[in-house]
Formats: sequence, structure tokens, C-alpha cells
Amino acid sequence: MRYRAFSLFALTAGLAVLLGDIGLGVADAQVAKVQNKNKKLKKADPPPVAPVAPVAKAQPAKPAPKPLPTVIPAPKTKDAIGLAKLIDAEVNKKFTEAKITPSTRSSDDEFLRRVYLDITGVIPTADKAREFLDSTDPEKRVKLIDELLTDPNYGRRMADIWSAKLFPIDSANRFVLKEPLYKWFEGEFNKNVAWDKLVTSLITATGEVGTNPAVTYFLANRSVDKLTDTTAQHFMGIQLQCAQCHNHPFTDWKQSEYWGMATFYSKVRADNPKNANKGGDNTKIGVTENNAKSKIKDFFPESAKTVPATYLGGGEAEVSLNEAYRPVLAKWMTAPENPFFSKAIVNRTWAHLFGRGFVNPIDDMLEENAPTHPGLLDAMARHFGTAGEFDLKYLIKAICLSDAYQRTSKPTEDNKTDQSLFSHMTVKVLSPEQLFDSLAVVTGIGRGNAASPKAKGGKNAVGGPRTAFVNFFLAGSEATSPVEYEAGIPQALRLMNSRIVNNPGSLRGIVGKTTEPTQAIEQIYLTALSRRPTAEEMKMLKEYVASSGMSSMSALEDILWATINSSEFTLVR
Amino acid sequence: MFSSRLQEKTRRDFMKLSAAGVFAPSLSGWLPVMAKAAAKGGKGQAKSCILLWMDGGPSHKDTFDLKPDSKGAGDFKPIKTSAPGIEISEHLPNIAKVMHHGTVVRGMSTPEGAHPRAKYIGHTGYREGQGGLIYPSIGSLVSKELGNPDGSMPNFVTIGGRSFGSGFLGPKHQPLLITDANRGVEDLRATIANGQFDNRVGLLEKMEKAFQREYQADAINDHTTTYQRAVKLMQSKESKAFDLTSEPSAAREKYGSGKFADSVVMARRLVEVGVPFVEVSLGGWDTHQDNFARVQSLSGQVDSAVSALVADLKDRGLLDSTLIVWMGDFGRTPNINTRGAKPGRDHYPRAWSLAMWGGGIKGGSVVGKTDKEGATVVERPTSAQDYLATVCELMAIDYTKKNETATARPIQIVEKAKPFTDMIV
Repeated sequence: MRYRAFSLFALTAGLAVLLGDIGLGVADAQVAKVQNKNKKLKKADPPPVAPVAPVAKAQPAKPAPKPLPTVIPAPKTKDAIGLAKLIDAEVNKKFTEAKITPSTRSSDDEFLRRVYLDITGVIPTADKAREFLDSTDPEKRVKLIDELLTDPNYGRRMADIWSAKLFPIDSANRFVLKEPLYKWFEGEFNKNVAWDKLVTSLITATGEVGTNPAVTYFLANRSVDKLTDTTAQHFMGIQLQCAQCHNHPFTDWKQSEYWGMATFYSKVRADNPKNANKGGDNTKIGVTENNAKSKIKDFFPESAKTVPATYLGGGEAEVSLNEAYRPVLAKWMTAPENPFFSKAIVNRTWAHLFGRGFVNPIDDMLEENAPTHPGLLDAMARHFGTAGEFDLKYLIKAICLSDAYQRTSKPTEDNKTDQSLFSHMTVKVLSPEQLFDSLAVVTGIGRGNAASPKAKGGKNAVGGPRTAFVNFFLAGSEATSPVEYEAGIPQALRLMNSRIVNNPGSLRGIVGKTTEPTQAIEQIYLTALSRRPTAEEMKMLKEYVASSGMSSMSALEDILWATINSSEFTLVR
Repeated sequence: MFSSRLQEKTRRDFMKLSAAGVFAPSLSGWLPVMAKAAAKGGKGQAKSCILLWMDGGPSHKDTFDLKPDSKGAGDFKPIKTSAPGIEISEHLPNIAKVMHHGTVVRGMSTPEGAHPRAKYIGHTGYREGQGGLIYPSIGSLVSKELGNPDGSMPNFVTIGGRSFGSGFLGPKHQPLLITDANRGVEDLRATIANGQFDNRVGLLEKMEKAFQREYQADAINDHTTTYQRAVKLMQSKESKAFDLTSEPSAAREKYGSGKFADSVVMARRLVEVGVPFVEVSLGGWDTHQDNFARVQSLSGQVDSAVSALVADLKDRGLLDSTLIVWMGDFGRTPNINTRGAKPGRDHYPRAWSLAMWGGGIKGGSVVGKTDKEGATVVERPTSAQDYLATVCELMAIDYTKKNETATARPIQIVEKAKPFTDMIV
């Protein structure tokens, strides 16, 4: 079966690390040989299920054999600059093959706004922007990356992303508190707890919400199937849920393997939040792990199969009946040699910064869904789980240091159709959270709420202007696409006509007392767009002020309105 | 892997190109293909749907499926209607006069007994949480299939209550929410004078063009298109549909008074300007206590609004192209509870009724039947999926068509359905 071969491949990949470490020049060749053997093994396997439409579409019928991924030695030391160089070496190779030229380095203002939004989820203030743009320090980009990674807004940005994923929209969750989990994420990410440790804390969480908010993961995904799906999807990059009811049509996941994974959660006892809500305190509910199979009603769907605890694509777990199962799962999942875990987070982090992963959709890392840069993804994943110490800030820093990340998003004539080789930066769309927080910087609306989403009652993250705004822009979905502009008419109307944007105090807050057009326009641009206007723009806008026939204050308000409603504001270039 | 969004984009690009004249000569070549695709959806002729959602779950035995000889018969008497053989509650006397335009589905039977989950399946045809997805509601599905993506009007409007949204179809197909029909669309009007607003839009357009020239990203085009639509809506004649002050008061009175009546008037006005899906909700049907007084009062609101709506649509020649659906979360227990001071009925998804008018149905028919107590469906049990597939067919939508999620999973519009279209057209 293919995934068996896949895990075998993980072993050979491990070998490559070893060889790479010893520095044998022949490593690549040897590994390639081992892989050839793998390939043969695979051929002997029964043919895979005929791929259905979407897969077929993605890979038009070309029977050409898949080229073997070149195994790239993973760096053996934790060195962000070194890793960035590896990234560029690999990314650049593809340009030669595809005969395209990459776009040039981003301008300072492009980089500034991009890295602020990507790492901290919010645009810089005008003062920060001016300081960075005017600095002549050749190291200013590195320094800025370091500064932003220690900014507490980094934790908030990550908490926004992860609480949306791990706390799904579900009517059963209306009695589960979101705020404690959100705060927990914020703290853990800001402390930069290693990714393997963080995930272990989540999937082995025991206790009450009040003392261990990580248990919320179980309360918000309160059945073995939901837990199995979310664990596979978010931490291993695998869409397993189809195998719940039938063997997965695209892949080799069998129904029995689904329930083999689900068994790891079978001894969990998660309190019913609804009961606690009736006169109770829902910080006092929580999770324990029993000695025997859990007996909560609804924790097992009707379709549940009883299968011994089995690692995905691996063997049956050696567990004794009295043993807690979840730590065993966590240990297997977060092991550096696990074929899914590091790859999933590396791919996800890459997509966070580039708008698309090496594999897309990012949590559907099927073998058929080949990475654009298989060797690089593999090397980064191996490195991340070993010398990289599962250190997320380090990974982000290394990627941000790369030329690939620091390219302009302006395409060139010959690379404008490229959407997968990272020849120019993707233009990304602000998430609703980024949009709200950035609007708050410009207009002052919701200030005080931006930093900590607070409920009317003060405890729950549901409520408050930030949450209301975000929900309005999400319109019932869990997250918006990072690359497609999806907002509709109601959102556009809100941005054009509501008080959020037409706050009478905003302009004063930005330009202070001056009404001198040149100064004021520059200040508006620095505040909203983190750049100075070009000479051409300045000319056009000054003419606008002069010819509007209104007070210059009104004309400046028009300019502010237009910048906030522009796609440049709503997008990350 | 072509996501549905990608397809949308392709189509939009095509329209752009055709507008520019690039494809103009071959345009005719596309039409037969399009016509064929439409024909696959069935013989339906409805272009719009008004869904009247009775929030809380109305008692079927006190509205459209009375059982005067049963144990929990309740206080209400059945009356004859304009459709021979169909009897409904005495508190729906005006609806009784338009039943020859309608159908009662008395065999509804669904698996969910809790409000949120029941509403979820009733709107989406999928059980909440199934397969880890958020499914689009019928309004969003119709918006995607029949809506005009570049028009000035939204393609899905909900009035009076939060509905279910577009799920994996993305925010483009989410409903425009009207919280109070008398206040109209939020943020529809600029807070500044028209002239100044136009200046601002002019300025914005200049910025957009310059930005697009340099960055050439699809997201910029999409942003521009959305803003153009919103500005068009602000300036359009159609947006008058949202303004109830322009409706003659005599015309409004027929609908009754109150929020629900106003919402139904707005729904009719929206359908008149071509909005394909409007949902209006009326709360208060969760009558665990004091069932009879409350159902009587709610019935009064429904009676005047629905009868006026059917009559108005008929007058305007829009009844055949507008499907009206009246339904709620589920039915209510055949027996009457005595827990509270005043008797009530509890949740009951096993057997319940919904009603439809217009939309090209032949009228005067009944689908399904419950037993003597109104407790069990004995003929033509109808699932949420069966009902939703029927709505699709009546609107010429192929319900077996598959939409793709962001992860390219193909999801059928309605799955496992046996529509009853043939019984009513």
C-alpha cells in the first residue's frame, strides 16, 4: 500500500539526514537508489482506485513517470540565514527549469507592510513606518523581523488563526467558552513553545477549562470522529473524514484505519458544556482520560467501528488497557520521523507567508497532490523536527529572510502567469481580523478592543466590536481565503458608509493640526498605506484638494476615505 | 482542481472578454450549451423563492394538518379551503382562499429535534458537522445557480433574523441581512452629500486603476467589481425595493401590521426586481407553553401576510415564477403537555407539515399523510433533502450538480433526495 511505502520513504529520508550530517558526497545517489527500490515496490502493489474528476483535472492524463524528488540534505544547525539560503537555492532552481525570471526585491514600503501584517496581523503606525523607511541601516529588515516576532501581536495573530481552526462553528459549541483557549494560544505562541510541545499539550489536555484552557479542544470537538478529523487535518495535513464512512476514494485511507486513529480518543471523557451552562460555571467543565472506553452518549457516532489503536499508515500501537492512549498518540505524532507532522506545519507556515503552500489545499497533503518543491519541503520538514527544534519563530524568521519572501509582488512580463513557483510574491487579502486591527490603527475605532477581544460579559471572546466585525466579514464561514477577495456588497457598504470609516475624529487623529495638503496627504498615506505617496499621486491629490471646492479638511477626509476603501488597503502587496 | 470559485472567475473573465468584443463573434456558439445546462435542471419555471421560516417549529396539528378526532386534537377546528379536500386551521381563513395555488406537504419527517441542528438540516440538507464542512443554505445555493454575479442587487436577502449563510461557497453568496424591514439596508446611504460621495468614488477609481496596473492581481479586480456593485446598488432604482416608504399604505395594510408583515412586503418588492432568493423569518413558534393562544396570534400574522403575498404576486403575473415556502424547524408533539400553567406542545421532528404556493405548482395538492394522531407519517415520508431537491427542481436547478469546497471536495447540492416535484406540477 502506498502509504506504507510512504512511511518507508520517511525512514530513508531519515537516512539522508544522517548521511547529510556525516557529509558524504554520495548520499544523494544512494538515497535515490533506495527510492528506486521503493518505486518498484509500489508498482507491485494493487493499482490505486481510479482517481475521480478533481484529481484527474489537476493532473491531466500524462503518463510520464513522476520525477524522483532530489533529497536535499537538511541543515544540521539552527541557522536562520543558512535556512533562508537553502530556500533560495531551491526556489531559484525552478526558475531556470521554467525559464522565467523572478521579480526584483521588494521596496522597503512593500516589505514593511507585508511583514507587519504577516507576523503581527496589523499595519505599522505612521511613526513606525517613517522610522523604518528613513533608516539607512543595511540590517533594518532583519532587525524588523526580530522585533515583530517579539511583539505580543504575534501571539494574537496566531491565536486568531488557530482558534478559528480548532474551535469550529457548531451549534453545540455555543456553551463552550472560546476566550480561554484564545488567550492560551496567544500566550503559548508568544512564549514560542515548541510546536511539538504545544500540540502535545492540546491533544493530551486534561483538567478544567479554568486551569487548563487547552481542554477546550476536546469540548469544542466533542466526539471521537470530530477529534480524529481535526487532528488529522490540522496537525498532519490530511483530510481523513471521508474515510469515516467509506474507504477514501482518492487515497488509500481505509475505514479501519480511520477508526484505528479514533481509538486513541476513545477513553476521553469530555464534560457536556450544555449541562454546565444550566446554572453551572463553564470554566469548571473539562476533560479526563478514563481507564476504559468512554461511555458518554454521542461521543461515538453510530457508525463507529471498534478497531485497536493504530497509527495512521503505521502499525498497531503497543498500548496496554490501563494506559492513557493520548500521550502515546502525541508521542508518535510529534516524533521528528513522523512523515506528516513537520511537513504539515512547514507547509502551513509557508502558506501563511506566501498565500499558498508547497502543497495546496494546504491540509490535503495527498501523495497525488504533489508539492511544487518536494525536495525543499522535505528538507525543511526534516530540519524543523531536528536541528530546528520545532521552533516556529525561527522557521518564520528564516522564511522572511529569504529572497523568495522579500520579492516584490509586482509581476514581470515573463513571470506574471506563474502562480506556483514563487517568482513574485502573491498579493494576499487581509483577514477580517487584520482588516479590523488595521482600521483601528487608522481610524481609532474600537481602540482598546483591538488588543483584547472582550465580550459584553467580559469573559467570552464572542461579542465586542472586533468579534462582531469579524463575524460580519466571515459571514458564517470559518475563515476567508488568503488569496481571493471574497467580501460582498454588504461588506463594501459597511466600509464605505458606516461609522467605522466615517469617524469624524479620524482625520484629526492622523494629521493633527495641519491642513497643509502636502504634509497631511503624506501623513494619511503613511498611516493607511505605510508608504509616502509617489510624486504623481501627490500631484493628483493636491489638485483634488485645490479643486474640490470644499474646505481642505473635507477634501482630506475624502482622500482618507478613498485610501481606506482602496484595494491597496485591503490587500497585502 | 477547479474550485467553484475558479469557475466563477473564469466565467467572469469570459464576460469581461465578451464585453470587450473579443469573443463576440463566437458568442452564439455558447448559447446552446448554456440552454442545455439549464434544461438539465428539470421543468421548473420559478425564478425566485420566498422562504418564510417559522422559527421555533410550528405545530402541524394546529396549522396545516388538523386531527379533530385525535387525542391531542387541541382547540382549533379545521375549515374547508379553495382546494377541494384540503382542510386547514380555522385561524388561517384567508390562506384557505388561496390554497388552490398551493400544496401542503404533510409527510415531513426529519432526524433533528434540537433547534439549531433542525434549522441547519432544513436550510442545507446536511446534518450539522457532517464531514467537517459548513454547508451552504438553500438561499446561497440558489444565489450561486441563478443569481446575477455582476448585478446591482444582492442575490440572497434575509429579512428579520439571522439565517444560515453560504458555508463553503464563500462570502460572495452570503445573504444581505435586513434586521428591520422599516430601516432597510444597513449602510446603504452615504453619510455625506451625493456630490461629495461621487467625488470620493472618482478618487477611489483612480487609485484602483493605478494599483491594478502595477500589481495585476485578480484580487484587485474582484475588489473593484464588488465596490462597483455596491455603489451601483446605492444608486440603483432597484434599491428602492428596500424602501418601504415608497409602498402605498393601502397596499401594505393587506399584509397586516408588524415586523413580519413589513418583511413580507419587502420580500415581494425584492422579487419584483429580480432577487432570486429572499428569506423572511417569524419567531415565536416554540410553544412549549401556552400553545393555543400563541399559535392563534401567529397564525393571524401568517394568514394576512401570505394571502396578500399570493394575491399580489398573482396580480403582477409573478406567482408562477415565484415559489413561496412556509416551514419551520420541525413540528410539535401530537399530545399536549401539561407541565406549565397553560398547555403546550414540544419539539416533534418525526411528522410535520410545510406548505408551498406559486412557483409553477399546479395547486390544490397534498403530498404525504400522517396517521390519525398526526404522530407518524403513513404516506410519502419526505425528508429535508427531498424537500430541498424539489425546490431546486421547481427552480430549474440540477440538484445533483456538485459544488467544490476549498479543498476541492465535490459536494452535491442535495444528496440522497427523492424530490416530489412530479406530484405537484
